[in-house]
Amino acid sequence: MGEVHVIGQIVGASGFPEHSLFCKWGIHTGGSWKVLSGLREGQTQVDNPQNHEAAYWSHPIDIHFATKGLQGWPKIHFQVWHQDQYGRNELYGYGFCHLPTSPGVHEIECSTWRPTGTFFQQISQFFLGGGPQLKNPDLIYSGADRYKLHTIAMGKVHLRLGLILRNFDRFGIEC
Amino acid sequence: MASSSVFLVMVSGQIESAEFPEFDDIYCRYCFTHGLDWLITSGLEEGITQVTKKSQDEKQRFVWNFPIDITFKSTNPSGWPQLVVHAYGPDVFGTDVVRGYGNCHVPITPGRHKLRIPMFVPESSSAFQKLTSWFLGRRPEYVDPRVVAQGEGREVTRVRSQGFLTVSFNVVMKDMKKLGYDVLPSDVVHAALIETVGQSQAATEA
Repeated sequence: MGEVHVIGQIVGASGFPEHSLFCKWGIHTGGSWKVLSGLREGQTQVDNPQNHEAAYWSHPIDIHFATKGLQGWPKIHFQVWHQDQYGRNELYGYGFCHLPTSPGVHEIECSTWRPTGTFFQQISQFFLGGGPQLKNPDLIYSGADRYKLHTIAMGKVHLRLGLILRNFDRFGIEC
Repeated sequence: MASSSVFLVMVSGQIESAEFPEFDDIYCRYCFTHGLDWLITSGLEEGITQVTKKSQDEKQRFVWNFPIDITFKSTNPSGWPQLVVHAYGPDVFGTDVVRGYGNCHVPITPGRHKLRIPMFVPESSSAFQKLTSWFLGRRPEYVDPRVVAQGEGREVTRVRSQGFLTVSFNVVMKDMKKLGYDVLPSDVVHAALIETVGQSQAATEA
């Protein structure tokens, strides 16, 4: 069995219209993958930056996977939320990216999007805030049924992930 | 047998400098956190730097040039060591208050790495506490700075990021490859694949 260690950080986010952001994240894998240790989902702190344009979370990730096959290589998915001064949360973006398949340290930028909804929903969001959310969060990382959605670009999530693979070359797998 | 399943990670480096545009007279403490399988074989787990003023030029850097030298051993990369840094400086009353917490993993690949760590301070959880901390001149701090290296329980904290700290690392590893761990992409020329799969193929052809 091959083993994969994912060691790194969700560094932060940039390019969102407001700061004071936090992020819910999770890692989705195929059926042949097993988590041996570490957290596979979590939520970052809320960062309200003093004088720069990006929010920083420095959220550590350290997961140990074991796998019998390469299918269903892990994906990390995000929901970026904005928290206003009254503590109300508003969805700012969905995004996912595959974990890199080659060992070493990777700096990753993951672009995000959010659903726009109908014209009237956009008008009401402009005045009242809030906005449509996905009923089924699986859509963040799956390609099925996406064609019904209308979305708009939001900011980017920045990651620094290190990968350590074990025993992959024993099975003749080149990564 | 037990000794053969151990790998070593030697880390040398320095806490180079920091940027805190609003403050002066900053010192920095550091500590390493690691998982249960890890042990420190040599070097100091914690340290504290000198107090420095910012540079006179427009960069306004706080330079510490503070050495880090530590060697870890482990049987399992899970719980990979993290560096936790926390910077302090005097407020208007002269008491030391925290100016930033930051964390990063020790790089998992051998070689030289330079990292710019964002520094953040926790915020008061309520308006009342904000008021009392303003009157008493004490701002919220973590009881144990090592919580910034944990992924759990962060959803309840609100922070404000306000500066950066630059650290450089030189990492050397021993016996990672021997235990089957790949930390760098396999070299096409020297791939282990050629030795194993290729040889057996050549043997069948012969």
